[in-house]
Amino acid sequence: MRLRIVKAYFIKEMIELIRTKMIMMPYLMPLLIVILFGYGIKMQVTGVRTLILDNDNSQISRKLILKFEHSKYFTTTVKNMSEKDALREMKKANIDAIIIIPSSFEKNSLKGVKTEIGVFIDASFPSRATTMSNYIQGVVMDLASDFHIDSSGVININTRNLFNQALRDEEMIVPGLIGMVLLISPAILTALIIAREKEEGTIFNFYSSSVSKLEFLVAKLSAIFFLVSIAIFVIFLVASYLFNLPFRGSFFLFWLASELYVFTALGFGLLVSILASSQIIAMIVTLMLTIIPAFMYSGMIMPISSMSGDAFITAHIYPVMYYNHIIYDTFLIGQGFKSATNISYLLILFTYGVVLFMLGLLFLKKEIK
Amino acid sequence: MLEVKDLAVSHKKKLAIKNLSFKVADGEILGFIGADGAGKSSALNAIAGVIKFDGEILYNEFSYKSPKEAQKVKHDIGYMPQGIGLVLYKTLTIKEHLDFFTDIRDIKIDREFLEYKNHLLSMAGLEKFLERRAGDLSGGMMQKLSLVCTMLHRPKLLILDEPTTGVDPLSRIELWEILQQSAKEFNTISIISTAYMGEASKMDNILLFDEGEIIARGNSEQLIEEIKPFVYDKIETDKKHITISDTTYCLENLENQHQKPTLESLFFVNALKKDRLLPKLQIAKSKESIDKNVVVMKATKITKKFGDFYANRDVDCELKSGEILGLLGANGAGKTTFIKMLLGLLPLDGGELELFDKKIKNSDDRNKLKSQIGYVSQHFALYDDMTVRENMMFFASIHKIETLKAIKLIDNYSKELGFEKYLDEMPKSLPLGINQRFSLAVSILHEPKVLFLDEPTSGVDAIARAQFWELLKELKNKRGISILITTHYMSEAEFCDRVVLLKDGEKIADDRVENFYKKFPDAKSFEEIFLEYFR
Repeated sequence: MRLRIVKAYFIKEMIELIRTKMIMMPYLMPLLIVILFGYGIKMQVTGVRTLILDNDNSQISRKLILKFEHSKYFTTTVKNMSEKDALREMKKANIDAIIIIPSSFEKNSLKGVKTEIGVFIDASFPSRATTMSNYIQGVVMDLASDFHIDSSGVININTRNLFNQALRDEEMIVPGLIGMVLLISPAILTALIIAREKEEGTIFNFYSSSVSKLEFLVAKLSAIFFLVSIAIFVIFLVASYLFNLPFRGSFFLFWLASELYVFTALGFGLLVSILASSQIIAMIVTLMLTIIPAFMYSGMIMPISSMSGDAFITAHIYPVMYYNHIIYDTFLIGQGFKSATNISYLLILFTYGVVLFMLGLLFLKKEIK
Repeated sequence: MLEVKDLAVSHKKKLAIKNLSFKVADGEILGFIGADGAGKSSALNAIAGVIKFDGEILYNEFSYKSPKEAQKVKHDIGYMPQGIGLVLYKTLTIKEHLDFFTDIRDIKIDREFLEYKNHLLSMAGLEKFLERRAGDLSGGMMQKLSLVCTMLHRPKLLILDEPTTGVDPLSRIELWEILQQSAKEFNTISIISTAYMGEASKMDNILLFDEGEIIARGNSEQLIEEIKPFVYDKIETDKKHITISDTTYCLENLENQHQKPTLESLFFVNALKKDRLLPKLQIAKSKESIDKNVVVMKATKITKKFGDFYANRDVDCELKSGEILGLLGANGAGKTTFIKMLLGLLPLDGGELELFDKKIKNSDDRNKLKSQIGYVSQHFALYDDMTVRENMMFFASIHKIETLKAIKLIDNYSKELGFEKYLDEMPKSLPLGINQRFSLAVSILHEPKVLFLDEPTSGVDAIARAQFWELLKELKNKRGISILITTHYMSEAEFCDRVVLLKDGEKIADDRVENFYKKFPDAKSFEEIFLEYFR
């Protein structure tokens, strides 16, 4: 490999990207996606299937039940059953929320003695869970003010998120979005800068010269790799400061995983660009190949563990899942290099990237199709 | 030394070229000539090692049978594929191109190289524009820059696919000077395809291509000598023949004066040999009487500015009824801009325009006259996904022609213009020459009085070009249609009644063709007259 050729292509690519203003893509597109989706994905919730266990059976408790029944946000049933049975119902996914009114709720609250309403929420969809919990809180507050009870001190709501404990929307969504944008933007850019040469005919400079396939690919990919590597830091800052995500793990792990992941994304774009003959086809195919898996099979919308059959396999075929696991770990959990899963996933990403690159090198031909 | 043995190239399962064998010596310039789609580009691609092929190519001691094996000779190859500025990066400046090609060709930068580079640049006349981006260059300059970039590493095997197509005569001469010098000084093997027969005489040897095979070889004198017996002055005959303009081609003996053939004649004789007689193209005479010498279009001091740049400046121009007016000029002289202003596709920045004695002030004035004007654009504006017939029906309905009438018209024109058997094919799969005729049919569907044609013959082969001009003459004589046509083939000026020469957006000459010849009695062709004005 002659570095001079790589350098010449690298510089040429940068000049072209700057003058065509495409250089903004690895920065603008991820920012837009993260900000729009990060703030945007908040599902409104109506008809929450709520089971109320009234152990008090008093005026206030009945009033509370009435309030739930009159709200369009809840579909309420009142039953006399044990807490255990109720939870079993929730496990079967027959109900979304359980509200337990303790005995002597009326007595205690009117006397100003601390009392506690128990709330269980099915939090498999974190954003939905957060919303439900907020609604329930609202109804209880409303009740308290009706009876002139100092709600903050006296009536406590003990909310427990089941199946997915204590997760904020952003904490779930934003890391997933990082996995999405770091796949899409490098893949598209790579596909575009190679397809453009084909479309415009400048690819002949590569075909008819002694530039080797390796030199050509390294040059093309390194330009994009360089740009997106900077974007990794930008996105990290946005996640940390704009969305106030915690960061509990190793930054080195985050960075390493991201670079490896970007490398695999470049491979995706590379393969597409070898098949596509025009920029528009390259763009559409890359979008299809990246957006859907990055969204559906990343664990962002639906936990991988709850997938079954084909979906489970598909999720494991795409690299997104592995990267997202590491990202969730570095942001939210912090096991870092101590976790064997993280290490093995890093290796998977690396292998993935190398395999894609080798395939690209194999299929790239210095000839007209 | 380059030797090609039994070369065959297939393109999408169709054999583009077969049984091609030839040898080229060091320092020799070999020309490929032939119609569009005759297989020249495929052959060049194969030799340049950028397409899969069968057969063997020997270059000095190296032999290659596939693009992969060709890798070892690419160091010596300089290849410029077909298409204006195809290998240039539009956003890069000339200087950046030179740096880029120096690097990817891994050229050692020493004094000798720098001298050579500057020599190339000054020969191409580009040294003053180093900071200009390729996208802002004229077609001729783009081709010159492409050639400089291709020659930067002093290739021993130079392969150029129509390097001069779309380039004005002056730039073409300069390109050839570079080529001939390089062949002489560095003993370069040059293989060059061209659409300009005039250039064939500059080549040491010529291969004439037709339908993927070589049908004749030799230098230009030999080739012309070979066909001498078949070329006659125009005569009516029952024997198989082709008559174009004032020449008749016939393989049998005719009782008539022989004419001195040109290289173009090669194509007609070959068509005869292959029994591809040209359909007689005749257009039914218009019933209305034709007024001559009525001014149908009058432009006074028309000006168009793009920023600080004058695309057209104070151009006066008159078009009379029943006249073919040729608008000639180099690339970027403002021909297309001028036609676009006449059509109202671009607003005027100054001057006045009169069509059919009416001043055109706004789009309302123009819309009233739209039915009188026909237009064929530089890139025929056809829909690739519709058949020829569907295209024509579509355009007929745009002109509000009744369906029944439209069907009849299409039937008529497809016969008269000779594309009847292609009616149900997709435009993309047809030769350029057919597309061009069918675009012409589309433009006259609504029976306009004036026809504007923007480089309709660009890229079309010699036979199709000749037929096209015959058609234009028919339209003029039988229908009295006035035609304004732009072209960069100087030889086509001969077919016009009057010629307007544009240079840098300004009119520099406007006269009848015979008067031009009176003014320059030494000129053998219009190309030479053109050069007189541009030097």
